[in-house]
Amino acid sequence: MKAFKLENEPKIKSGFKTPEHYFDDLSAKVLQQINEKEVKVIPFYKRKNVISIAAAAVVVFALMIPIVNNYNATSKELDEATLETYLSYQSNLNQYDLIQNLDTKDIQKLNKNVAIEDETLEDILASNPNIEHLISE
Amino acid sequence: MTDEKEFIQELLNPKTQNAAFQKLLSDYQKPLYSHIRNIVLNHDDADDVLQNTFVKVFQYLKNFKGESKLFSWMYRIATNEALTFLNQKAKLSGLTSEALQTKTIENLKSDIYFDGDEIQIKLQKAIITLPEKQQLVFKMKYFEELKYEEIAEILGTSVGALKASYHHAVKKIELYVTSN
Repeated sequence: MKAFKLENEPKIKSGFKTPEHYFDDLSAKVLQQINEKEVKVIPFYKRKNVISIAAAAVVVFALMIPIVNNYNATSKELDEATLETYLSYQSNLNQYDLIQNLDTKDIQKLNKNVAIEDETLEDILASNPNIEHLISE
Repeated sequence: MTDEKEFIQELLNPKTQNAAFQKLLSDYQKPLYSHIRNIVLNHDDADDVLQNTFVKVFQYLKNFKGESKLFSWMYRIATNEALTFLNQKAKLSGLTSEALQTKTIENLKSDIYFDGDEIQIKLQKAIITLPEKQQLVFKMKYFEELKYEEIAEILGTSVGALKASYHHAVKKIELYVTSN
């Protein structure tokens, strides 16, 4: 059999036909569909809504995971007062350890506090019988 | 291009929308019909897909950014609609899309809207042996006589790759027709 070559053949048409006047009323049909879609679009959106609500619920739950985790964590955490008591009575932290952990901000704060207490310093000194001891230190 | 921008504005403006959409329909219905018909093969399916395509075009027009030409954007929607339709139809009938296409081609012989003889049927049978992309390229180039540049815009591939695809498709089809 002779080899078939597309370019040697006369152009082969697809052979597809349309019903007569098909294109005459196509636009009317399409426009009708568009109008229908615009009016009774409810089922489609309803379904879409369900999906979006479900998606929203998933997102909310996902966002809640860290909150739930934190909630559990905080409830187990020690409150400040307990911690302070523990540190001052139970641990072997001393002044020097505390001083080492101070940063500039803390020191500025301390300075302010000291300034306020300046006025009472005299009273303390006057009332303190061991003043010499304090000076020598 | 500015004409096209104006036309898109007309399509979006509620006042001019109807007239503009009518024009769009009358300009594109025939080429888009042949494009879809070449993919889905029978008239009733092509009719369904074409109407859906225009409805989608209308719905998504406000999202059309003008990055591509209106022409290629509409062809792209039509192609996607037609391929999705075929896949759904195959799924519903429990066939692979190849088996479905074979069946559709068999049915063409008795289709009153098909005016072809043996060679047309043989050519269609040869086409379905090709991978999907090559099928599309062949149909768009050979039957619809679109330019490579246009096909490239529609399918989002380079002209070079298209030429290669078309060349492969032609070779395989010739081989099929010769040996069958």
